[in-house]
Amino acid sequence: MNPREEKVSIITEESTANDEDAEVGRREKSSKVQRQQRKKQPPRADSEEMVTGKAQPGQEEPEMHLLSMPARRGPRSLPPIPSMSRTGFAEFSMRERLREKLQAARSKAESALLQEIPTPRPRRLRSPSEKELETEFGPEPCKESQATSHRNDSQSYSRVKFHDAVQKIKSKPQAPPGFPSAEEAYNFFTFSFDPEPEEPTVKARAKNRDGTHQEEEGEEESPAGGMNKMVLNVIARAGTPQKDEEELLGSQDAKDFLLGLDPAPDEFVVVRPAEYEGTHTWLEKEKELLFFPSRRAVPTWKKLPENVQPRFLEDEGLYTGARPEVARAQQNVVENRLLRQEPERKWFGDDGRILALPSPIKPFSSRPRPLAQEPSAQAGLETHYKKAVKYVHRTQHVVGSADPPGSFQLDIDISGLIFTHHPCFSREHVLAAKLAQLYDQYLARHQRSKAKFLTDKLQALRNAVQTGLYPEKPHQSLDATQKTIKEYKSEIRETRKLRDAEQEKDRTLLKTIVKVWKEMKSLREFQRFTNTPLKLVLRKEKVDQKADEEAYEAEIQAEISELMEEHTEEYEQRLGEYRASYQQWKAWKKAQQKAKKKKKKQAEEHPEGEAEEELYPGEEPVKPIPPELLDHAVLEQQARERAAHSRRRPGEPVLLPELSLTGSVTPDDQCPRAEVLRREDVKRRSVYLKVLFNSKEVSRTVSRQLGADFCVHFGQIFNLQIFNWPESLTLQVYETVGHSSTTLLAEVFLPIPETTTVTRRAPVEEVEFSSSQHVTLDHEGVGSGVPFSFEADGSNQLILMTSGRVSHSVAWATGDNGTPLIPPPSQQSLGFRSALKRADAISSIGTSGLTDMKKLAKWAAESKLDPNDPNNAPLMQLISIATSGESYVPDFFRLEQLQQEFNFVTSEELNRSKRFRLLCLRSQEVPEFRNYKQIPAYDREILEKVFQDYEKRLRDKSVIETKDHIDTHRAIVAKYLQQVRESVVNRFLIAKHHFLLSDLVVEEEVPNMSSEGSGILGLSLFKLAEQKRPLRPRRKGRKKVTAQNLSDGDIKLLVNICRAYDIPVRKPPASKSQQPARSSRTFSDRHAASPGAHSPPHSPDTPLSQVSVRPFVEVSFQRTICHTTTAEGPNPSWNEELEFPFRAPNGDYSTASLQSVKDDVFINIFDEVLHDILEDDRERGSGIHTRIERHWLGCVKIPFSTIYSQARIDGTFKINTPPVLLGYSKERNVLLERGLDSVRSLSEGSYLTLFITIEPQLVPGESVREKFDSQEDEKLLQATEKFQAECALKFPTRQCLTTVTDISGKTVFVTRYLKPLNPPEELLNVYPNNPQATAELVARYVSLIPFLPDTVSFAGICDLWSTSDQFLDLLAGDEEEHAVLLCDYFLFLGKKAWLVMGNAIPEGPTAYVLTWEQNHYLIWNPCSGHFYAQFDTFCPLKSVSCLIGPDNIWFNIQQYDSPLRINFDVTKPKLWKSFFSRSLPYPGLSSVQPEELIYQRTDKAAAAELQDRIEKMLKEKIMDWRPRHLTRWNRHCTSTLRHFLPLLERSQGEDVEDEHRAELQKQLGDYRFSGFPLHMPYSEVKPLIEAVYSTGVHNTDVPNVEFALAVYIHPYPKNVLSVWIYVASLIRNR
Amino acid sequence: MAEAHVIGQIIGATGFSESSLFCKWGIHTGAAWKLLSGVREGQTQVDTPQVGDMAYWCHPIDLHFATKGLQGWPRLHLQVWSQDSFGRCQLAGYGFCHVPSSPGTHQLDCPTWRPLGSWREQLARAFVGGGPQLLHADTIYSGADRYRLHTAAGGTVRLELGLLLRHFDRYGVEC
Repeated sequence: MNPREEKVSIITEESTANDEDAEVGRREKSSKVQRQQRKKQPPRADSEEMVTGKAQPGQEEPEMHLLSMPARRGPRSLPPIPSMSRTGFAEFSMRERLREKLQAARSKAESALLQEIPTPRPRRLRSPSEKELETEFGPEPCKESQATSHRNDSQSYSRVKFHDAVQKIKSKPQAPPGFPSAEEAYNFFTFSFDPEPEEPTVKARAKNRDGTHQEEEGEEESPAGGMNKMVLNVIARAGTPQKDEEELLGSQDAKDFLLGLDPAPDEFVVVRPAEYEGTHTWLEKEKELLFFPSRRAVPTWKKLPENVQPRFLEDEGLYTGARPEVARAQQNVVENRLLRQEPERKWFGDDGRILALPSPIKPFSSRPRPLAQEPSAQAGLETHYKKAVKYVHRTQHVVGSADPPGSFQLDIDISGLIFTHHPCFSREHVLAAKLAQLYDQYLARHQRSKAKFLTDKLQALRNAVQTGLYPEKPHQSLDATQKTIKEYKSEIRETRKLRDAEQEKDRTLLKTIVKVWKEMKSLREFQRFTNTPLKLVLRKEKVDQKADEEAYEAEIQAEISELMEEHTEEYEQRLGEYRASYQQWKAWKKAQQKAKKKKKKQAEEHPEGEAEEELYPGEEPVKPIPPELLDHAVLEQQARERAAHSRRRPGEPVLLPELSLTGSVTPDDQCPRAEVLRREDVKRRSVYLKVLFNSKEVSRTVSRQLGADFCVHFGQIFNLQIFNWPESLTLQVYETVGHSSTTLLAEVFLPIPETTTVTRRAPVEEVEFSSSQHVTLDHEGVGSGVPFSFEADGSNQLILMTSGRVSHSVAWATGDNGTPLIPPPSQQSLGFRSALKRADAISSIGTSGLTDMKKLAKWAAESKLDPNDPNNAPLMQLISIATSGESYVPDFFRLEQLQQEFNFVTSEELNRSKRFRLLCLRSQEVPEFRNYKQIPAYDREILEKVFQDYEKRLRDKSVIETKDHIDTHRAIVAKYLQQVRESVVNRFLIAKHHFLLSDLVVEEEVPNMSSEGSGILGLSLFKLAEQKRPLRPRRKGRKKVTAQNLSDGDIKLLVNICRAYDIPVRKPPASKSQQPARSSRTFSDRHAASPGAHSPPHSPDTPLSQVSVRPFVEVSFQRTICHTTTAEGPNPSWNEELEFPFRAPNGDYSTASLQSVKDDVFINIFDEVLHDILEDDRERGSGIHTRIERHWLGCVKIPFSTIYSQARIDGTFKINTPPVLLGYSKERNVLLERGLDSVRSLSEGSYLTLFITIEPQLVPGESVREKFDSQEDEKLLQATEKFQAECALKFPTRQCLTTVTDISGKTVFVTRYLKPLNPPEELLNVYPNNPQATAELVARYVSLIPFLPDTVSFAGICDLWSTSDQFLDLLAGDEEEHAVLLCDYFLFLGKKAWLVMGNAIPEGPTAYVLTWEQNHYLIWNPCSGHFYAQFDTFCPLKSVSCLIGPDNIWFNIQQYDSPLRINFDVTKPKLWKSFFSRSLPYPGLSSVQPEELIYQRTDKAAAAELQDRIEKMLKEKIMDWRPRHLTRWNRHCTSTLRHFLPLLERSQGEDVEDEHRAELQKQLGDYRFSGFPLHMPYSEVKPLIEAVYSTGVHNTDVPNVEFALAVYIHPYPKNVLSVWIYVASLIRNR
Repeated sequence: MAEAHVIGQIIGATGFSESSLFCKWGIHTGAAWKLLSGVREGQTQVDTPQVGDMAYWCHPIDLHFATKGLQGWPRLHLQVWSQDSFGRCQLAGYGFCHVPSSPGTHQLDCPTWRPLGSWREQLARAFVGGGPQLLHADTIYSGADRYRLHTAAGGTVRLELGLLLRHFDRYGVEC
C-alpha cells in the first residue's frame, strides 16, 4: 500500500465527510466521468485533490460551506473507529488538542467570514491550482467547469479510496512489514502536524519572490501553494485559511500571515546573517566529544601488564619476521588510541609493541604491469607471424619421423683460467698466490662474519637466560623454565666455545696475512725487483678506547660469571656425589670395623673363622676426595688468557687488510738475467682448453698467451647441439711452450647441469685442477713438483704442483619461446637422477643433489631450524613428508581439483564398465574386437568371456607357450613374429587412415581419341566394327564391389574345374620281375637321360581295354566340401563349376580383414574305386553290392589371399602328388610321348586346369603407398622414381621393383639384398663333386623354410623384405625371402643368378630365381625347390618383368614377357633397360645382408622327440575324425613305413616307389594297401593335421580296416625341419 | 557412467573475406570424459564457393563419450584456414563453442576471430599472405586472460550438432 495514497485517502475522507450530504446527487451524476478521470489520474493526484479540496470553499458556494460547516463538523469530531482503536495515547491526546484548536479556529472563521464574504479573494485562491493544473495536465479550456469536475472527482475519488482503505484494513488488519498500515499513516500525519507548517510558507515565499505572478496573491497562495498536506487539510476543514492558520502557526508565522493581509511582500522576508559559530566554540564542543590520540610514544610499561619486562623474541633466537613498515608516529597514535579504547592490552605483544603479522608487502609486484609492456608479454598469448605455407603432406605417422630427435643445446661458457701454481712462478709469485689465497679466505670469512654472528647469538642467549631466570610472569611451569634455561646454558657454553674458536681463527688468519706480506716484502727487497703488482694495505680503524675496554671487561666478567656458575654447578654435583660415596665409604668403614671387632671376637672364639673375612675382599672403596671449589681468581685468569689469545685487546685498533694490485712491477731491463729469462719463458707459453663431451672432443678454445699474472681470459661460449643426455663433460687444459710441444696439464670434470639451470641464470663457477707433472726450469721459475725453498740455506723446502682454477658456467640453452632445450628425462640414465626427479620439493628450495630424505630430516632436527621461518617452509614441508613415513613425494599435482567431488562415479567404476571397455577396444581396432558388431546397451548383457581371449593374450605376451608349437625354437619365433607383426600393424594402422585424393574421388577418365593406351573412345568405336564371334566368348569385365557393405553370404567363391592331364592310373598287382630294372636307376642318370627313360618299363603292362582310373575332384574351402562328378581316364574333363559361400572372420568384410584370411582352397583329386563286396556269388544276379572307395591322388592348394589379390586365377596347375603312390603309376601313351618328348622333359606330373574367382568381384586391397624413411641417397631415390615412372609409362602391367621396405619400415634399394651368402656346410658336403646336385639340395633346403605370405602376417599392410638372417631366424617368409636366400646361395656357389620378378600361377606377382647354367637358363621356384628350363611350358612363371642382380636392375622392354619367348641376355640394352648405366654408374652400395650366415646344428634328439609327439597327435586326430568306428593301428606296417621314410628323405622323394612297393609286398602280402607319404616343411602342427585330413585316408568305413601312420622329421641346420608323414589304410584281402 | 553421443556436421562457413576455406576442428574435453569411439579432431576439405559466399563442408562429426562428471563438458574448437591461388594456406579465424548440453539437434553459429598482429604483420598479410597465429593453439579454448590479444573478427562457422545423452538422469542431471 502506498503510504502516501493512504494519507490522501484519509485527508479526503474528511472532506467527503463534510460534503457528503450535499454532494450525493451530484456525485451520482458524474460518477461515470469520475471513474474515467480517475483512471487517468496519476498517483500524484493527491496534490490536485488537495488543491481542489481547498479551492472548493471559495469558488462556488462559500456560503454554503460556511453555513453547513458546523453541521458537517459533527461527524468529524469522532475519528474513524478502526483507526482509533489502535492509536496510542500520545496521538490521542494530540488529536484532542488539535480538535480544540480546530474548534477555536472554526468559530473565529465563521465570524470572520460573515464579515468578509464579498471579497474577491476566494477567486484568486484558485490560481495556484490553476498553475498546478497547467503544469500537470496542460492548460484547460474552461477553468470553471474544470474546477467543478475536479471537485467532484476528488470527492468521489477520495470516497472510493476511503472505502478501499477501510476494506483493506478490514481484510488485512496487519499490513505487511515495511509498509505503514493505515493507522500508522494516520498517526504520522497527525503527529507531524505541529512543526511542519513553517516550511511551506517559506517555500511559498521564495516562490513569490522570484515569482512572475501577481504579488498580492502571494500571501494567500503561500499556505495553499505550498501544497503541504497538513496545511491544506486545515484549510479544507476550516474553509477560511487565514484565520485558521493564525492560530495554527507559530507566533512568527502567524505574524507573517497577518502581515500577509497587507499586500506588501517585503515584510515577509527577513534577511538573516548566515549562522555561524566560532571555530573556537566548535573546538570547545568537539573537545568534549572527540579524543585525539597523542603522537608521542607510549611508555612501555603502559602497554604491558604490571611488573612485566618486555621480552624480545628475536633476541632469543626465534624468528619473528619483518614487521610491516609503519611510520613511528602513526604507530604511536594507534597505540595511544588502543590504550584508551581498550585497556586490556590484548593488542600488545610481549615486546610491548603492537601485534603485527609479518609484512605482507612483496618486494616486487605480483600483478603484471599493464600496458607498459608489449602484448607479447605472456607466452600463452604469443602470436607469431607465419608465412603462408604450401601444405605438404607430412608422413608424421610413419616410423622414425614420428619422433624426431629434437636437438638440444648445452651452453658451456669458459670465461677464464687462473693458475694458482705454475712452473714459471717465481718465488714472489708463490708468495703472492699464497697471499691472494689467504686474502680470499679472509674476505670470505669477513663476509660470513661468523664470529660476530656467534657473539650476537651469545648475547641473545644470555638475555634469554636472564629473562628466563627472573620472569615477571610465571607463564610457564617452573620445570619447563628450568629445562629451557638449562638448555640455554648448555648452548651458551657451546656457542662460546665456537665463538672463541672463530675469533681465534680470524686472528690467526690476519696474522698469517701480515706474515706472508712481510715475507714478500723482504723477498722483494732481497731480490731487488718486483714481479707482482700485489700490495697489502692494513687499514687501522680507531676504536673508542673506553667503550671498548668496558665491553671487553663486561664480556670477560660475563664469561667468568658463567664459568663460575658452571663450576659451582659442577661442584655441587660432585659434592653430591662425594657425599653419597662418602656415606657409602663410611658405612663400609663402620661395617669393616664392626667386622674386625667381630672377627676379633670370633677369632677368639673360633680361630678358624676366616670365611667371613673374605666377605669384603676387594671391595674396599677408596676414600672419596672432596671436590675442590675452583677459585674465582683462577677462573678469571683463565678467561683473560683466552681472551688475550683470541681476541683483540681493548683499545687496539681494528685491522682491516686490503689487497690491491696497484703496485708497480719492475720493468724487464732492471731485472737480473734469470728473471728476464723467466719472463720470456712465460711469454712463450700459451694455454688452451679442449671441451670433451661424452669423452669426445667437440671443440676447443683459442690458444691464449699466458699473462704475467698467470691468468688467461677466454670468454668463449660453446653451444653444443646434442641429442642425448650427456654422460660426461670434461675440459682439458693444454699448455703450449713456444711452437713446439703441447702438453696436457690437467683434466677438469664439469658437473652436468641440473635441468633447472638455463643460460643467463647459471652462475659462473670455479673448478680447481691440478697436474702431477714435474717441471724443472733453469731460470727463476720455481718449477712444479720440484722442491724449492725460500730460505737461503735451502731448509724448509716446499713442493708445489701446477694447479689452477677454471671459471666456467654450464647451462641448458633456451629455445625461442623460452623453453629449455633439455633432453627428455627418459633419456637420462635411470637411477642416476631418478631420486632427484622424484623429490621436486628439494629443487624448489634451491639446493640440489640431496637425495637422502632421512638424513636431511635428521640434519634439520639437529640444526634446530626455526619452523616458523617462511624461508624454511618448503624444507619443513619436505621433512614432514619425509619423516611421516616413507620418503614419498608425490610426482603429480592435481590439475582439476574438486573434480572428484563432483564426479558421478569413480574412475574405477568407469573403467570397470564392460560396455565401455568393449567400445574402446573396438574403436582401437584391437584384433579380437576389430570388427565386433553391435555392442549391447547394458553391461549385464555382456559376458565376461568376451574378454577372456584378449586378456589371455595380454597375459601371455611374454610367456612362451609350447603347446601349439611343440618345439621351443618355433615357439619363440612365433612369439617374435607376433611382436614384429603387432608393431608393424600398429605402425601402419594410422597410416592407413590417411587418404589420397584417389581414395575419395573416383574420377572417370575423359575419353581420349588420340592416346593409344587410354583411348577408350577410339577403342570402343573400333570395337563396334569388330566382328561378333559367338563361338569365342570373352569374359566381360565385372564391376568391382567395395568391401564395406557386404555381409555373410554375399560373397561366393567360384571354382571351375576344367580338366586334368596325366592323372596316375591304377596298376594291377605287379609282378615281381619288373622291380630290379627300376631300382637300378640313380639320381645322376635321371638327368643325363631323362627323356624317354620312363617309358620302357611301363609300356609292357598297360592293359588296353581297362578303365585305368576314375578321378573326381573334391574341393574344400572353409570346411565346405563340394565335388565334381566322376570322370574316366587319365585325362578327364569335368568342366564343372563349384560354388562356395565365403565367410569373412568376424563378419568383417573390410579390405584389411579379407587380406588376412588364412584359409586355403584345397583341391583334391581322388580315384573312385568300386569294390565288390558281395559275400555270395549267388546273389550277383539279383543285386549290386559294392563299396565305393576313394583313393587320394594329389592335391592343389591355393590360398584365399592369392585369389583375393589376383581377383581370378586361371591356369593349369601341377598337382601335388605324393612321391610314392602305391598302386598307381603314370600312364605313358607311347604315341603321346613321342610327340611331346621335349615338352615333358623336365616336368613330369599331373596337371589340373582351373578357373577360380570371387563373385562379386572384390576390390583388392592395396599396399600402403606411404613414402617411407630411407637411408638411401636422395639422388638414388630420385633415380628410382624416375626409372619406375619411365617403366610404368612403357609397360604399365609389368611390375618394376627398385626399392623395397625392410622389416623396420625403411626403404631400401633392392640390390642391397643380393650378395653371396654361404649355405650350410653340411649341404655342400653331400655332393662335393656335383654342383647341380648341390644346387638342388640347396634349393630344397630353401623350400623347406615355411612359407608365410606377408599379406597374412602383416594383415595386408605391405610387403616387407627381411634379410636372410632375419628370414632364417623367423623361419617364415614369402616368395621374396625365399628367392633372395636362394639367389644368395647360388651366388655363393659361383653361379650367375638373378632374381626374377614376374607373375606366376598361382602366386601372382612373385619372385623366382634365374640361373645361367653352361648353355641354358634355369628358372627356380624358391618355394617349392623345383626348377624349370626356360622353355618348359609347365613352368609356373608366366611373365617376367624385371631381373635383379647384385649390382643392377634390368627391366624387360621386350615385346613379350613370357619366359618362353624372351631373351634373358641382359647385356642387350634393346631388350633390357638397366637401372645403372653409363649416366648413372653403380655407386657400390653396401649390402644389408650379414657378412656370413651362421647355422646352428639342429638338435637331433629334439627332432626325434618332436617326431614322436607329432605322430601321437596325428594318431589321436585320426581317431577323433572317426568317431563312429574303431580305429586299429597296424604296428607292423607302421614300423615298415617308418623305416622307409628316411629313405625317401635321402632321395628327396624320387624313384623309390618300386623298391618300396616290393618291400611292402613282401611284408604285407595279404593286405590291400592304400597310402602315401606326405612331405612338407614344418612350421606348425596345424598345417600337418590339415594335410592329413585333406587326404581323406580316414574316410573309410570298411569294417576291418587298419591304419598305419609314421612320421619322420629330418633336421636341417638352423632348425629347418623336413616332415614326412606316411599315412596308409590296410584292408586284409580275403 | 553417463554417455553422450555427439553426432553432427560442420556445415560450412560464411562471412569470411577469403574464399577457398577449410577448417581444422577438434573437440576438447575435461579429464572426466573418456572417448569411447570416434575421432576427436579432423580437417575438412577445401571448399571454394561458386555461388554465394558460404563455403560448405558438410564434414561429419561423430563421437561417443563416456563421462564420470559434468566438468569439462566437450567444447569444439575450430580453425578456419584459407587457401590462396598458389595453394598456400593461411589462418582465417579461430573459433570455439561448447557442445550444447541439451539433447536434440542444435544449429550452432560459431563466430571466429584471428590475431591482428602489428601493422607490419597486417601489411605483410595483405600483400604476401600468411599472418600471425597463436603459438599455443589451446588459447582458443582456455580461459587465459586474452585481453592483450588484438584480434579481428572473422566469419562464422555453422554447425549442426545432435546430442544424445544417456544415463545422465541417473546422476541427477536433468536434460
